[in-house]
Amino acid sequence: MTTTTADSGELGSIPGGEPTGGKGLKPGALGLVSSLVIGVASTAPAYSLAATLGFVTFYVGLQSPAVMLLAFAPMLFIAAAYYYLNRADPDCGTTFTWVTRAIGPKTGWLAGWGILVTDLVVMPNLASVAGVYTFNLFGAHGIAADSSGFWVTFVGVVWIIVMTAICYIGIELSAATQVALLGAEILILVIFSAVALAKVYASHVASSVRFSGQWLNPFKIPSIGALSAGMLLAVFIYWGWDTAVTVNEEAKDTRRTPGVAALMSTIVLVLIYVIVSIAAQAFHGPGFLTNHSDDVLGALGNGVLGSPWDKLLIICVLTSASSSTQTTILPAARSSLSMAVHRAFPKRFADIHPKYLSPGFSTLLFGAVSVVWYVVLTIVSPGDVLANSIEALGFGIAFYYGLTGFACVIYYRRHIFRSLKNFIFIGLAPLLGAVILTVLFVVAIFYYSDPANSSTGDQAWFPGLHFSFHIFHWHLYVKKGLGPPLVLGIGLLAIGIPLMLIWKVRNKDFFNRDREVAETVDSPAPPLTPGVIPVTD
Amino acid sequence: MAGDIVLGYDGSEGSKAALRVAVTVAKAFDAPLTVVFGYEPNPMGGETADYKNQLEKIGGDYLAAAVKEAKALDPSVQVEPIVAALRPVESLLEASLEREARVIVVGGSGERPIVGAILGSVPHKLLHRSTVPVLVVPTPEN
Repeated sequence: MTTTTADSGELGSIPGGEPTGGKGLKPGALGLVSSLVIGVASTAPAYSLAATLGFVTFYVGLQSPAVMLLAFAPMLFIAAAYYYLNRADPDCGTTFTWVTRAIGPKTGWLAGWGILVTDLVVMPNLASVAGVYTFNLFGAHGIAADSSGFWVTFVGVVWIIVMTAICYIGIELSAATQVALLGAEILILVIFSAVALAKVYASHVASSVRFSGQWLNPFKIPSIGALSAGMLLAVFIYWGWDTAVTVNEEAKDTRRTPGVAALMSTIVLVLIYVIVSIAAQAFHGPGFLTNHSDDVLGALGNGVLGSPWDKLLIICVLTSASSSTQTTILPAARSSLSMAVHRAFPKRFADIHPKYLSPGFSTLLFGAVSVVWYVVLTIVSPGDVLANSIEALGFGIAFYYGLTGFACVIYYRRHIFRSLKNFIFIGLAPLLGAVILTVLFVVAIFYYSDPANSSTGDQAWFPGLHFSFHIFHWHLYVKKGLGPPLVLGIGLLAIGIPLMLIWKVRNKDFFNRDREVAETVDSPAPPLTPGVIPVTD
Repeated sequence: MAGDIVLGYDGSEGSKAALRVAVTVAKAFDAPLTVVFGYEPNPMGGETADYKNQLEKIGGDYLAAAVKEAKALDPSVQVEPIVAALRPVESLLEASLEREARVIVVGGSGERPIVGAILGSVPHKLLHRSTVPVLVVPTPEN
């Protein structure tokens, strides 16, 4: 694949330069394969499975494939919001600008904060997974087993530093390498699933379970709270898929490529997640996955593929985690840059490194905060860094994806009833997605409020807290403190409120704006901040 | 316009050295000089709009300095700056085609030798892909 062939782009001259002959500029156009790769690589299937599978089975048992399937629904609905809001702020705008336009600057600021916090929460998880699987790769299973031990944490910290440096210096893999890595990742996951299922049916594997149609039946899940917890985890595995939808705006054949790439990446992801979760729990039963939740694919790999082939699976978790780390650091830095450009954050966050051309300050600060946060989390919740970070993550994702869905409906409110297509894609789908995520968010608050419900059952933070109340037949128990996922997930989001108010006092410009409403569905909106005109080619 | 001298310029010491050579070459052939700054954010990260805007500003600043420097070296040379939303190599190749360039002038990759060795430097890639001669100017010591 060639990223940009000589005939695909033209040049734009800067204002004040001589005209360049204007052939209709469309630089950096992406082909179908690139669009597909960006969408799938950003969701990082192998890493997502390694990080969540054991926790999903903890909450929903044998119904994990059903949850994998079901969680795609809100994702798909929210993708419609991304697709249409991207038309107002083309070239991959951010939830921050969209929510600011549609709902207002305060909510917009908090949406931006939500993105940053969510990116921060996933970093310890990425780092620990990288640490655990690095030691697995070299056969040091004893060290790998202690996922918050010194050595795993040490490798995790090095991992964050190296990945931050890569983003800071601006090293990029070639498109061909990305395709090869992603292709290998998918292929290895498919081989793993096929071999696991073949062994289950052909020979006797200890505590294996044969597939049943009931695995795909979400109504078998014991409680609505467990379903919400499972769903929030599974929403995470699709996190990043929206990039496929927004990046496609730039695709070469804008009439066909976006739809086809989004459809193909959907099919690839849903199939991979459902098949791998079926194969993984069939092999040794869901209990095995829960017991090895910090290291599912490492633990299963040996039994399924045998040595040394299981190393392939470990390598693909590592390459997947590296692309996921990059697609966490890059957007985090770009979000804070974006907020600084629109004066919602201190100016320094918009600094560009003169040589590497990366958002230098934003990138380094995010890397540094991630390291500190990771180490602190390891100290305050030893043994449960992976569980706490992955379970807290769902709150952030649901928060800003949900806001994006509501923003779409509010921003395009005058156009929703103009055609059936509008009604479905800019009205119904985004609203449904947002409502589903809001419900998951609220139900999960109630569920995680009882520490006994989270997978780290023995851990409770702020044990001095005592209160409980009932809404309908749901209980908000706060008897012996709060479950760590709740404190992390909601706490970090909540810190945004005082920070936002402080910034509001210090910088009124950003907050003194009116809400906007879309004039048309197809054309870009005026710049969010006067004088800051996005480059839209 | 045809027969341009196309110069890759990113504000680095290497590109400043290349600028001085490019002005001399442009003067010798009595050809217009096109100064190109190419940028393309990694699409993997998404959310590129405001980032691109900042990059375009920086590129504009670099090119304004380049034009000023070229005029100072030789006021008779006709200089045109171009900011291109393409990777540096692609933007130079594209400019060389569009301008039917006589030669592409770039600085050596002295400043990023390790990155150049792993991923290929701009001059290295140009040498393989350009259809017009490529002139690589070494970065001066100190």
